[in-house]
Amino acid sequence: MRTRVSLFLALAWLGLVVSGALLAPILAGTAPSQVVAEPLLRPSGWPPLGTDELGRDEWSRLLYGGRATIVASLAATALTVAIGTAAALLAQGIGGPVDATVAGGSGAALAIPSLLLALLVVAALGPGFDTLVIAVGLGLSPGFARLARSALRRERGQPYVAAASALGSGRMEIAIRHLLPNALPSLLSLATTHYAWAIGGLTTLTFLGLAGEISTPEWGSMLNAARGYLRVAPWLAWFPGASIAGTILAVHRLGDWAARLRPRG
Amino acid sequence: MISGLRGWLALSFAALMAGCSRTPNDVTTLTYGLTLAPTGIDPHINASAELGIPLDSVYDTLVVQDPESGKILPGLAERWEISPDGRTYTFFLRRDVRFHDGTMFAADDVVANLDYVVNPDHHSQKAVFLLGPFERAEVVDLYTVAIHLTQPFAPLLDSFSQVYLGMASPEALDAWGPAEYQFHQVGTGPYRFVEYVAEDRLILEKNSDYAWPPPTARRAQPFFDRIVFRFFEDPATRAIALENGDVDVLGEVPRHEAERLDASDGFTLTPVAIPGQPTQFLFNTTLPPTDDLRVRQALLAATDRGAIVNTVFGPMSPVAEGPLSSGLWSDPEAPVFAPFDPGEAAQLLETAGWTLGPNGRRSRDGTALKISIVTPGWGSHPEVAQLLESAWEALGAEVAVELAPGFGLLREAQTRGEYNLIGINFFGTDPDLLRPMYASDGLYNWTGYLDPSLDSMLAQAAALPLGSEERRALYLEVGRLLRSEALVLPIRDYTNLVVASDRVTGLAFAHSGWFPLLRDLQLAP
Amino acid sequence: MVPPAPRPAAGALSVFARRLGLALVTLWAAVTLSFFGLRLAAGDPLAGLLSQGLASPQQAAELRERLGLADPLLTQYARYLTGLLQGDLGRSLYTQRPVGEVIAEQAGSTVELAIAGLGMTILIGAILGLVAGSRRSTALGSGASAAAGLATALPVALTGVLILWAAMAVGRAAPAFLPLTRSDSLLLPALALGIASAGALARILEGGLQENLEAPFVLAARARGVRRGLPLIWHALRPALPLAISFLSLEAALLLGGTVVTETVFARPGLGRLLVNSILDGDFPVVQGLVLVAAAVYTLTHVAADMAAAFADPRLRDEA
Repeated sequence: MRTRVSLFLALAWLGLVVSGALLAPILAGTAPSQVVAEPLLRPSGWPPLGTDELGRDEWSRLLYGGRATIVASLAATALTVAIGTAAALLAQGIGGPVDATVAGGSGAALAIPSLLLALLVVAALGPGFDTLVIAVGLGLSPGFARLARSALRRERGQPYVAAASALGSGRMEIAIRHLLPNALPSLLSLATTHYAWAIGGLTTLTFLGLAGEISTPEWGSMLNAARGYLRVAPWLAWFPGASIAGTILAVHRLGDWAARLRPRG
Repeated sequence: MISGLRGWLALSFAALMAGCSRTPNDVTTLTYGLTLAPTGIDPHINASAELGIPLDSVYDTLVVQDPESGKILPGLAERWEISPDGRTYTFFLRRDVRFHDGTMFAADDVVANLDYVVNPDHHSQKAVFLLGPFERAEVVDLYTVAIHLTQPFAPLLDSFSQVYLGMASPEALDAWGPAEYQFHQVGTGPYRFVEYVAEDRLILEKNSDYAWPPPTARRAQPFFDRIVFRFFEDPATRAIALENGDVDVLGEVPRHEAERLDASDGFTLTPVAIPGQPTQFLFNTTLPPTDDLRVRQALLAATDRGAIVNTVFGPMSPVAEGPLSSGLWSDPEAPVFAPFDPGEAAQLLETAGWTLGPNGRRSRDGTALKISIVTPGWGSHPEVAQLLESAWEALGAEVAVELAPGFGLLREAQTRGEYNLIGINFFGTDPDLLRPMYASDGLYNWTGYLDPSLDSMLAQAAALPLGSEERRALYLEVGRLLRSEALVLPIRDYTNLVVASDRVTGLAFAHSGWFPLLRDLQLAP
Repeated sequence: MVPPAPRPAAGALSVFARRLGLALVTLWAAVTLSFFGLRLAAGDPLAGLLSQGLASPQQAAELRERLGLADPLLTQYARYLTGLLQGDLGRSLYTQRPVGEVIAEQAGSTVELAIAGLGMTILIGAILGLVAGSRRSTALGSGASAAAGLATALPVALTGVLILWAAMAVGRAAPAFLPLTRSDSLLLPALALGIASAGALARILEGGLQENLEAPFVLAARARGVRRGLPLIWHALRPALPLAISFLSLEAALLLGGTVVTETVFARPGLGRLLVNSILDGDFPVVQGLVLVAAAVYTLTHVAADMAAAFADPRLRDEA
């Protein structure tokens, strides 16, 4: 797993998924909601991946479903990174009780597993696709905040921080101007790993049937729908399942690679 | 230390395997599957059809319906009289009936039950409506009870044959109150209620004292010592449950799996027609664009109901042709319901001003044609809704499908009012079922359609004697009105695909369709 | 993951007291977070009841009075906390039944699943970790290592469906194995639940083995004549155990999250399904009660594991 080959494979897979999502209208040929043939056609010839339980083009649904999954997970990760980084900056920039509050608060929130935290958000806001983005984003935030805080703290020990402090820079100024830019590579690799978790979290929630709206195909929802046809049409589960698995693994591989880019010392 | 580790592994394996113990030849216990978890199972209060599957055998009713013909026959009441003005029903009760708690059943128990149902604090969701224009119940003598109505109401006998008006022990009702009674039910039926754990199990045991079977019973005494009901809410895992032997009888099995199991050894599929309203979607007549009759007609014409039924439900479900299932009521003179005609649909939309743009989407005065469908999560409604989406997008509409997994969320979505179509249907054996849904003041008037002449037709028909030609004619007229106003998109006459292990014999269902006659059921070794 | 905290010299009892105090504070924070989070974001807890026609406005007003929902939020919060101290988790909005009772009814099945899942985690994690750590640079070892990585990365929903599909295929090919796929057997759900954590456990053990197989105390043991193979591996493994145990304690709580998915895939009743259904119904007291249970399990197992870890590693024990 640690070879260049696996990194290349990961990048190639992500390239495929992203271009599939971007070019879905061109590549798909038919709209994902349209009935195009008999239901449960085997993947042979046309449509390329067969049809789902209602006779819709599975290839088209996979492309559009990927679009929904990776975009929503990206939005959730952006939320996580924004909240987590802000909390870490506040903690390190103000210090004292604020730092203790961030450390303690994120610790307390971590006492609720992030899936439960996400479900709690769904409970408060009601099911729906927008809610799921917020739920996953908030669910992963405490963990990210904790790790981002440590990343910033690690930088605090560096000599240049002492130098800046001697030159009269304030805590917050040091945090923003010195700690943050230097911790950026760590934060980036953290964000990548959290993106993989966000994909897992989002597809889990849609798999549980919390997507609300069912007109848009999405990988987790597709996997959920395919469960009923595992015996007569198992490929309906393979395609979204393999897509989710491949994408999560590829993003993790990317995260590992990014983590090793971090300058040491 | 190593042996400790090994011991641990052995132990954990043993623990895992411990779950797999059930004697295969046990014929004294039946496992019966339920497919929806109701929010409550007090038949006087809750409305779900699911609750009746077990409880129909816990309670006896004043009268019973013949499973085949639907004819009303004696139950707890040996006979009854209806006053000439149709406003007083007098029931003469059996004198040998005991509740499961040992108390004798008599006329004051009927009064106590009906008082419990109509008590406004108890929020009865169904039973109180079955009573129609109920005024009061009166003890005439120890074993005679009179029911007074404010106006004639023909479906009353049908109502008194339903489990929702089954006779519960007033002592238990008093002792537990409306919140707890559902966990401690006491009736007079062939099986007694033992235990209910929501979403997990409901257990019944044989009532050995049972000696008052109705004339429809084929066995005098119940066969099983114990019937365990388990929940199989997820359609995707139902066939697996049957094949694993987790359950002996299970309904609502998805079409492909039901067909596959039927063809394989060891299982038999019984399609059971459920009378009442078909699987259907109601049009909201108060929200654009479905406030326009032409749009509703266009959507009907653009829907190939035969193809939808074929894809989702298969050949065992008949295509529905009106607001009630054909077994209950059909109109031989009516034209074919909304024939599939995309050309006609497009034409109707053009006349209504929804013109086709270059992008294949229709709009009027810069407003896009958007249709929003709210679908319940059960009964394959989501699949149907997605096929409607496909059909109507081909017509040039933008369609959004919102899923409401439970009845609570469905009602919430309905209250918000932002739907053009919503899926809902009720079951029953009398056409009066139409009233709560289409009368202006109906509890489930989700179409928003208000029409005093329809109201008076529905009220009038309810008062006419059962089986009379006048009553039939009036309901046909109601049906034509609902059709011409395009208020409902019927899909299929509801058919429950029940799959049972071949060991099960005597599987038959009450006239209402959902409820198995558990008393007559047997299991071969 | 979480390195064992350095033990102060003051003795095990005071360490334990301090840990317990910290756990209680964490628990209080989690309760507070869920209480205010749900109430502030979701608004009127009775809105669902009203719109579903399960209560008339007048009855809702009475219910609000009875449940004290009309009082200021802080008063309600104080009452909720007082109730908790007396073991009262409130009542379900829908059925009016005590939340504690509702949760207790469903807990058995979930606990059973979680324990079996934990067993699977240990079993699979130990096998993968030992193989990967002791057969390094062989195909078998790197295969085990890759499998561990895969197991960690994939969501439970995915492995669950995969296992279900595989069981169907096996059941069809070899009906003799069918009893193993019965849904009242714990095997498959526990496998699906356990695999996710097994990967991470394997990595910890693998790391520990790699580090310690060359460590002086293991070399010394070899010199003393401890046989190669399992005895030696056991020697090398022991220092990694505290970390593995504290990891497993974290996982114990995560397993509760995993049961939500597992119970859906394998159609088992339990707390996970109760949670999803309560969310869909908007039954806040039940949701809150379940969150409390999850947080309590997490913090308490964490304390217990810290204590256990202190006794598992001889170096730590000597310090304490």
